[in-house]
Amino acid sequence: MSKTFKKPECLSDLHTHYCPGCTHGIIHRLVAEVIDELGIKGRTVGIAPVGCAVLAYNYFTFDFQEAAHGRAPAMATGIKRVRPDLIVFTYQGDGDLASIGMGEIIHAANRGEKFTTIFVNNAVYGMTGGQMAPTTMPDQRTTTSPFGRNVKEVGMPIKIAELLSALETPGYITRQSVVKPKYIVRAKKAIKKAFQYQIEGRCFSLVEVVSTCPTNWGLTPVQAIKWAEETMLPYYKLGEFKVPE
Amino acid sequence: MEIDLDGIVIIAGNYGSGKTEVSINLAVNKKRSGIDVCIADLDLVNPYFRTREVKGLLSELGIDVIVPPEKYLQADLPILSPVISGMIRQPCGLTLLDAGGDDVGVNVLAALADSLGGKKYNMIQVVNPFRPFTDTVKGCLKMRSEIEKASKMTINGIIGNANLIDETSVEDIYNGYDFVKQLSKESRLPLRFVTVAAALMPDIDTTRFHCPVLQIERQLVPPWKRAVSIKPVI
Amino acid sequence: MGKVLMKGNEAIGEAAIRAGCLNYFAYPITPQSEVAEYLSRRMPEVGGMFLQGESEVAVSYMLFGASACGERVFTTSSSPGVSLMSEGLSYISGAQCPAVFVNIMRGGPGLGGILPSQGDYFQATKGGGHGDYRLLVMAPASVQEAVEMVMTAFPLAEKYRNPVMILGDGLIGQMMEPVEFPDDLASEPVNKDDWATSGMDTRKSENRNLVKSLYLSSEELNKHNLHLKAKYDRMRREEIRYEKYNIDCDYKALIVSYGTMSRVCKTAIDNLKKEDFKVGMIRPQTLFPFPEKAVNEAASKNSCKIVISIEMSMGQMVEDVERAVIGKRPVRWYGKCGGDVPTPEEVIDVIKSMVKEA
Repeated sequence: MSKTFKKPECLSDLHTHYCPGCTHGIIHRLVAEVIDELGIKGRTVGIAPVGCAVLAYNYFTFDFQEAAHGRAPAMATGIKRVRPDLIVFTYQGDGDLASIGMGEIIHAANRGEKFTTIFVNNAVYGMTGGQMAPTTMPDQRTTTSPFGRNVKEVGMPIKIAELLSALETPGYITRQSVVKPKYIVRAKKAIKKAFQYQIEGRCFSLVEVVSTCPTNWGLTPVQAIKWAEETMLPYYKLGEFKVPE
Repeated sequence: MEIDLDGIVIIAGNYGSGKTEVSINLAVNKKRSGIDVCIADLDLVNPYFRTREVKGLLSELGIDVIVPPEKYLQADLPILSPVISGMIRQPCGLTLLDAGGDDVGVNVLAALADSLGGKKYNMIQVVNPFRPFTDTVKGCLKMRSEIEKASKMTINGIIGNANLIDETSVEDIYNGYDFVKQLSKESRLPLRFVTVAAALMPDIDTTRFHCPVLQIERQLVPPWKRAVSIKPVI
Repeated sequence: MGKVLMKGNEAIGEAAIRAGCLNYFAYPITPQSEVAEYLSRRMPEVGGMFLQGESEVAVSYMLFGASACGERVFTTSSSPGVSLMSEGLSYISGAQCPAVFVNIMRGGPGLGGILPSQGDYFQATKGGGHGDYRLLVMAPASVQEAVEMVMTAFPLAEKYRNPVMILGDGLIGQMMEPVEFPDDLASEPVNKDDWATSGMDTRKSENRNLVKSLYLSSEELNKHNLHLKAKYDRMRREEIRYEKYNIDCDYKALIVSYGTMSRVCKTAIDNLKKEDFKVGMIRPQTLFPFPEKAVNEAASKNSCKIVISIEMSMGQMVEDVERAVIGKRPVRWYGKCGGDVPTPEEVIDVIKSMVKEA
């Protein structure tokens, strides 16, 4: 009998620092599996964000750079422009990508930079302790929206996948989730597709992944999954928003 | 040999070819020979070393100088003075338009097309073969066609402005002359004149040249150098 | 190859290519936009890479990413743009990546003006970004020197795995001077396999590389900072460069001045010489490390009554001059920073009156 569950070569033996019920671990694993399957470990460079995944570089076994808040797409641009043969991905959360790094992601996508972005949307700033993110849901309580997100004051949550697919430059833009096994299978397919587009030198690719943060949401892991399904998924619709011609 | 130029004269050329220094000295030269001269600073691309920096001196000599309004003189703004259209509509003896460098520098001329429409003008390309991109005849011809395309106008003459500023040698001047002569032949554009710095003039055998020579009294100098003092027009 | 007539900004762009750097990211800003304009034409001719980024912030990280994967890279900007790049400079220094930054200074603070200034001395030599980092800062006084400094900056950045800054002012960028590109200053990039994220296949290595500036344990971060400090101390030992001018006579005053301002001072010193009024000058070519010992020794001369820091800023370098002179002589400052460069005549008047009062 062969082993059905084995650790991808691209993942390290370290135990992650992520909280119970956090989905970063799943997403790391999907990325690692895809890189294994595509056989590109030796020419891949990952870029870690500022956010809960700041230490992501510890959990992968290939070359990594650690960025400043939001600047990962600029760093990825720098790499791809001088070393187009390398496979580059940024791994970014919602505070990093949709707030402080909005300029960098939009321009990188619009230039059609041929790297891949894994965008983890869990509707809250994790690392800094549960503050409001651009993707925080209406009325969602956070440490900086203690009475709930007041959309009259701070606007509606930003739908990154939709926003980026409005650009005329070709790209692969999709939104997936990992809160249920059926979503995980689809998410992995999407991540693989994103890397394949990059390998073929075709376009910029971004996979938004709707995720959970039980710790900062103040919910148990099970409750968090329920909340993500009932509150986030109706607003953040899953699917492919843009596919290159 | 006298420089034969009058009416509307547009000084164009690649970036840093010496258009402004040539324009200033040409203005002074013509004024000295009794011609009414006005000069307009159309350089919207260069932040330093522009005609506007010697406005005072030229005004003292009785040369009309059109520059952007005083308060915007040092601004990083592409301001085209409306006075320039008027000046083109009613040109004086010699109306010099000192354009900016390269094709981008002459974009502004296309904006003046209405005023220039139907008027006779000379557009002349200043060439310094010691500058990058115009160190070959091919490079100069490319620059010519880019300038003509951007300005929607036609170049009809060449000015040879070979120099390495203070380090220019007699040899450089002669080589520069040979270069623009060749350019003139290949482009079939007349060589209107060549320039020689005043300090170098005594060493130059001008009989070598089959064109007039404009003496350059350098005005656009860095702050640690003194401009050549220009004597008032008598 | 013979001399060519070039604007400082163009020459800086060409110098980088001649030095062996074919990667340039930038954002336009007066008075240095000519570098980007020049390289947007020139890079395709030499098979190089030019990209106009969306902001100076992004540009500094494009440099970071490119440098971190082992490639030579540089950018140019002017004061407000360098403020935006300062965040990146801190990260690049912290992550120990080589890169070359050029600042063609204009007047500040804020939008200031577009004319030449030396108001970013503190920003360049004392930080600008956060944390305990230093840049190796070189200040050219001519277009030729700008060329040579840019060409030497790349191997220096690699030697120290640290950004190098060329601190020019608007005049250095805008003025035209004849230049030559010394072939012997061209250099091959050093091997970076031990740290750069160039791809494991590229290095034929089983070990991955990691480029980061994050050290969460206090002990590790202190160790990291001590390592950086050791590099900066080594710069202080090995990289100090300066020019002595009229220093072999019994001068009454010692001037310390750099860049464009030092050229005005030279004219002033030459003119004073004709009146038999002797003034010496130390012109720092590196601002960090600062030539403290040279300034101290020159100030110590018996005939020297006063040391004057002349700069196009409101008294920034003078603080380093004071540190160098350590009270041996009175130290004064003179400067202007609206954009007008003090004339040789103004400098002469200032020297005479300061010597009189000393």
